[in-house]
Amino acid sequence: MNIIYTDVLVVGGGLAGLRAAIGARRRGFEAVILSLVPPKRSHSAAAQGGMQASLGNAIKGEGDNEDVHFEDTVRGSDWGADQQVVRMFVNTAPKAVRELAAWGVPWNRVQRGDREVVINGQRVTITEKDAAHGLITARDFGGTKKWRTCYTSDGTGHAMLFAMSDQAIANSIPVHERTEAIALIHDGGRCFGAIVRNLVSGELVAYLARATVIATGGFGRVYRVTTNAVINEGMGAAIALETGVAALGNMEAVQFHPTGIFPAGILVTEGCRGDGGLLLDGDRHRFMPDYEPEKKELASRDVVSRRMEQHIRAGKGAKGRFGEHVWLDITILGRAHVEKNLREVKDICNYFLGVDPAVDLVPVRPAQHYSMGGVRTNHTGQSQTLKGLFACGEAACWDMHGFNRLGGNSVAETVVAGMIVGEFVADFCASPESDITISTGLVREFWERENARIDALINSTGTEDANVIKMRMQDLMTSNVGIFRTGDALKAAVDELQELLIKSRNIGLRYKVKASNPELVTAYRVQKMLKLALCVAYGALQRTESRGAHFREDYPQRNDRDWLKRTLATWPGEMDTLPTLNYEDLDILNMELPPGWRGYGAKDYIDHPDTAARQAQIEEIKNSLATADRFAIQNALMRFEHLLPERFQGRNERLGEILS
Amino acid sequence: MSEAGATQHRQLKISILRYNPQDPNSEPHMQTFPLEEADGMTLFIALNEIREKQDASLQFDFVCRAGICGSCGMLINGRPGLACRTLTMHLGEEITLAPLPVFELIGDLSVNTGKWMRAMSERLETWIHTNEAVDLRKMEERMEPQLAEEIYELDRCIECGCCVAACGTARMREDFVGAVGINKIARFKIDPRDKRTDEDFYELVGDDDGVFGCMSLLGCHDVCPKELPLQTQIAFVRRKMVRMGMK
Amino acid sequence: MSKSIDLVAGAGLRDKTRKSRLPARLDFLQSASGLFLALFMWAHMIFVSSILLGKDAMYTITKMFEGYYVFGKSYPGLVSCVVAVVFFVFIVHAGLALRKFPINYRQYKLFRGHMKMMQHEDTSLWFVQVYTGFAMFFLGSVHLYIMLTHPDKIGPYASADRVWSDLMWPLYILLLLAVEFHGGVGLYRLAVKWGWLEGKNPNETRKKLKKAKWGITIVLLTLGFLSLAAYIKIGIAHSDQVGERYTPAGVEQPHQ
Ligand SMILES: Cc1cc2nc3c(=O)[nH]c(=O)nc-3n(C[C@H](O)[C@H](O)[C@H](O)COP(=O)(O)OP(=O)(O)OC[C@H]3O[C@@H](n4cnc5c(N)ncnc54)[C@H](O)[C@@H]3O)c2cc1C
Ligand code: HEM
Ligand code: HEM
Ligand code: SF4
Ligand code: F3S
Ligand code: FES
Repeated sequence: MNIIYTDVLVVGGGLAGLRAAIGARRRGFEAVILSLVPPKRSHSAAAQGGMQASLGNAIKGEGDNEDVHFEDTVRGSDWGADQQVVRMFVNTAPKAVRELAAWGVPWNRVQRGDREVVINGQRVTITEKDAAHGLITARDFGGTKKWRTCYTSDGTGHAMLFAMSDQAIANSIPVHERTEAIALIHDGGRCFGAIVRNLVSGELVAYLARATVIATGGFGRVYRVTTNAVINEGMGAAIALETGVAALGNMEAVQFHPTGIFPAGILVTEGCRGDGGLLLDGDRHRFMPDYEPEKKELASRDVVSRRMEQHIRAGKGAKGRFGEHVWLDITILGRAHVEKNLREVKDICNYFLGVDPAVDLVPVRPAQHYSMGGVRTNHTGQSQTLKGLFACGEAACWDMHGFNRLGGNSVAETVVAGMIVGEFVADFCASPESDITISTGLVREFWERENARIDALINSTGTEDANVIKMRMQDLMTSNVGIFRTGDALKAAVDELQELLIKSRNIGLRYKVKASNPELVTAYRVQKMLKLALCVAYGALQRTESRGAHFREDYPQRNDRDWLKRTLATWPGEMDTLPTLNYEDLDILNMELPPGWRGYGAKDYIDHPDTAARQAQIEEIKNSLATADRFAIQNALMRFEHLLPERFQGRNERLGEILS
Repeated sequence: MSEAGATQHRQLKISILRYNPQDPNSEPHMQTFPLEEADGMTLFIALNEIREKQDASLQFDFVCRAGICGSCGMLINGRPGLACRTLTMHLGEEITLAPLPVFELIGDLSVNTGKWMRAMSERLETWIHTNEAVDLRKMEERMEPQLAEEIYELDRCIECGCCVAACGTARMREDFVGAVGINKIARFKIDPRDKRTDEDFYELVGDDDGVFGCMSLLGCHDVCPKELPLQTQIAFVRRKMVRMGMK
Repeated sequence: MSKSIDLVAGAGLRDKTRKSRLPARLDFLQSASGLFLALFMWAHMIFVSSILLGKDAMYTITKMFEGYYVFGKSYPGLVSCVVAVVFFVFIVHAGLALRKFPINYRQYKLFRGHMKMMQHEDTSLWFVQVYTGFAMFFLGSVHLYIMLTHPDKIGPYASADRVWSDLMWPLYILLLLAVEFHGGVGLYRLAVKWGWLEGKNPNETRKKLKKAKWGITIVLLTLGFLSLAAYIKIGIAHSDQVGERYTPAGVEQPHQ
């Protein structure tokens, strides 16, 4: 049994994991990153559209600041978010963009003078300020009041990930590529590291660390139709769940992106609509204004996705060989714009559909896109129940997205969370709390347990086919736990998923080799994925309301009275077939922005009794501080700055808000 | 075909170079898999189908399956390319697939480009070098919009390794940095945030394992799936480095 | 030239010993020598193919090289000097190019396999350069050596006799093919290597350069073969008078 010791074990080499590792490393701690693939291949690279940060440089972003970003994010979350975390986030996002700028990300810049853009299907001329020339510019994205999404053409995630990964290399942080954490080592109260499988040799190694950080991204692959990479199978969340101690938060909150190309599910960026692209139905009619007269194509993702599906159900979809879809029209943007600013989109259409988006319509249909849920942590990124276990990025739920995250808020979150959690991890490592005394017996126990599990799969005489089970799970999730949810369909899904979970304990392999063996990988992962799928489906079944991306046709209203709470799923018994659900209330009386109408989508919801009281309080505070600046008012409503690591405290400079 | 709309699908023959260095009994050999083509079939779909239905041991790498992560470079009928975005309809009925040469073979079509690229990054120090501390609370430094776009143009490399596999020089000489490396130097050279001088860059690529090793074969330029302007960038770096060498 | 002393983030470049400037110079020299040779070969073609305009034309040019029109007297030694310079550049160029050759059978096989697999024009053309360069190493040396040692034996009859009666024509056929393919590819490669004529759309430019390259090669080969045919024709006609020198009609005897 090989053991590797380090201060910080980071599981995941995407934006979040890399940034957290860099943070810890810069504070003098040793960090090792594990990744299924070379870090630059992580799915963060796929983010095309951009990263939100309220710099307010572009003319259409003028007047933007943390307050506006905060409101957009909280509304977007349908009030599911932890508002203090959102505040921490919006305050750090500009710093994150600026740090990345210093690290070489070639953010697109403001060009002074006139520029033609398409807004709402109309060509209009806007004039950028002289004073902003050369500063980082922004584009429009769904669900935001201001143009706030910083970007590098349409390869934002790529440029960010490469700059970040190169920083990790500059800091000599080792990345153990093609390794997979398959279990966390813990004693029920404290996490000590992980058992890690080398995907090439098949060898199992124990990694022991003061702090273990899960940054493994989303779990989109529990769905069949998804924009996610094939490695996004949620293994980080799953191994946290399998501790039986750590909890997963809001797993039923799954986002669907309106524009996955049909049928492959490959994403074309929201930037298409942000830049002025339209959605057309089978009759080439622009249907979004009929449903959402105000925000139209740029309402938040959940709303647009739902309207598209609704329209297709009403028989208005375009019919293609593989089924029904609607059209995305970016021809109006003109070839020059498409080839320069939406080049990846053009490539995707060309390579995967054989069409030219500058002249042809693009077939699209919503696809699973983002998992708001993940390992539940507090604002420092540490699990509330398993000490020494941290999480950040899409894999985590420190909860800044609530039930729906805004486009561009995710890559921003990965970096911001990486920065913040990286500091807290370093603080933790610097404190005596982090000292570990662990018997090699315990490590051996975990190692042997995992080794035995793999041996059992290889020697199994079982008859179930791992691929078949996996595909059935994916189909079920897409058809029954998708955009429109009903009690019956969810119940059916939960039942069958449980059956599949039981079947998955009887998988037999055709290829019985321990070293690099793709079938073996599918076999042990599908057992874990089914648990995640059950958390999603069961959580969705229990949540008898609609909130953000979670939409119950049988309970179409948001219900703050009964459901303004976060779902916590745990898996205490290894042989359980259902997660144990608990709920954590959100405290309206501490909210800076009490629940209300989001500004788009349905306007009817059931109020929480505290809402009115809090609203009144807020009015009072605001009145009493009428002459104070926005920082003072904010501070009086909800303090947050003390929660941030010192390094990231402080205001952000803008053209209109120069710091002395 | 009598039925309306039914299309006749081709019967593909996909020959794959099989070899598993982990297994002492394994010998490199070609294995041919028959496969019925489907509409819109990419090599990603085809290979997964083969693995699911015909041979569970087949190794290959896909991550994004959308042509953006650079994982799936392989030799498709002898030419390096991204398998995930190659539609079978653009190929003949007989397709040969082999792993990218130059890189360490993991098994079958899977090669360790990540290891090679990390070594390249370490060797060329592919990050911004500066000792100006930035105050994250302050406004960012300005940059001409045009320049930002030019940098991005070179930053688009996905490190897929196709250019290296397509380069005769890289195949003959193990230590050659390849077009991917030279392009990185160009990228950092035009970036004003990187304070390295030509002299510093000369230290990195001023030899026959660097830019002077390139024999202008341009295989790199012609296969790069991201269509990076490798030819002009190599020429650019060469001019600068020769000027440096003449001083 | 200042050495940057302020690098951070673990660079430490300044601590390393300064890298040799030699590779840069050699690379430059290789191209410069190639360019020189290629341009020289154009001039050489004009000179040699003057035979197509008639014996007098070639005679005149020969005399010109021997300095006759400057000094009023022929100095074949001048030709030797020119040959010596060209020979020198030729050897330098070959020496530099040798560095690029596959150094062992393994590399050779790797490259061949690569070329077959890729079916990529510019890659295959490089192999053409290696082969033709290798051939010229011998063929060119023989020719140059003869020119160096017998600078006086150049002229409509002398050359024709050498081509035909001294059996140089098979060597010339090979050398002609080798040098035109090699030089054509070489010039094209120089352009893409240094980014000459890139213009706004380098990809388009490259296509045009490629076309121009083939065009030039065809023109030069045609000219070359026509000239060679002319020498052969003269050589056959003159084969019973080998050694006799050409005297243009109405011109005083230059050789005394
Ligand atoms: C197509 C697409 C487009 C998007 N566009 C945008 C956008 O424009 N703007 C935006 O804000 N967001 C966007 N997002 C969302 C955003 O890209 C992701 O949420 C974010 O990048 C996730 O980053 P991460 O660091 O958390 O995880 P990832 O980048 O997914 O990285 C996960 C890492 O974990 C590793 N890993 C996983 N499991 C294990 C294990 N068991 N052991 C070891 N390592 C493991 C993987 O190898 C990988 O390195 C997009 C998402 C998709 C799918
Ligand atoms: C012994 C004779 C010769 C040999 C062995 C030789 C070999 C080579 C080789 C191998 C190359 C490719 C170098 C590289 O890829 O970097 C080359 C390039 C070249 N050769 Fe030659 N060559 C010879 C003679 C000539 C002659 C006579 C000419 C003139 C027509 C010539 C013109 C060129 C040119 C222009 C190049 C391109 C230079 C460059 O890429 O820098 N060569 N030669
Ligand atoms: C200064 C140097 C050179 C001189 C003076 C010279 C001179 C000549 C002369 C006089 C001929 C006519 C035939 C003959 O007299 O034998 C000739 C032909 C030829 N030379 Fe050279 N030469 C020189 C260099 C070269 C070089 C470097 C090459 C190529 C490597 C070359 C290739 C040829 C060829 C191919 C022919 C036959 C061409 C034809 O007839 O079309 N020569 N040269
Ligand atoms: S330069 Fe092109 S071919 Fe080479 S690694 Fe980058 S993207 Fe791939
Ligand atoms: S193929 Fe190789 S030799 Fe140079 S031009 Fe490209 S790196
Ligand atoms: S799988 Fe990502 S590029 Fe092909």
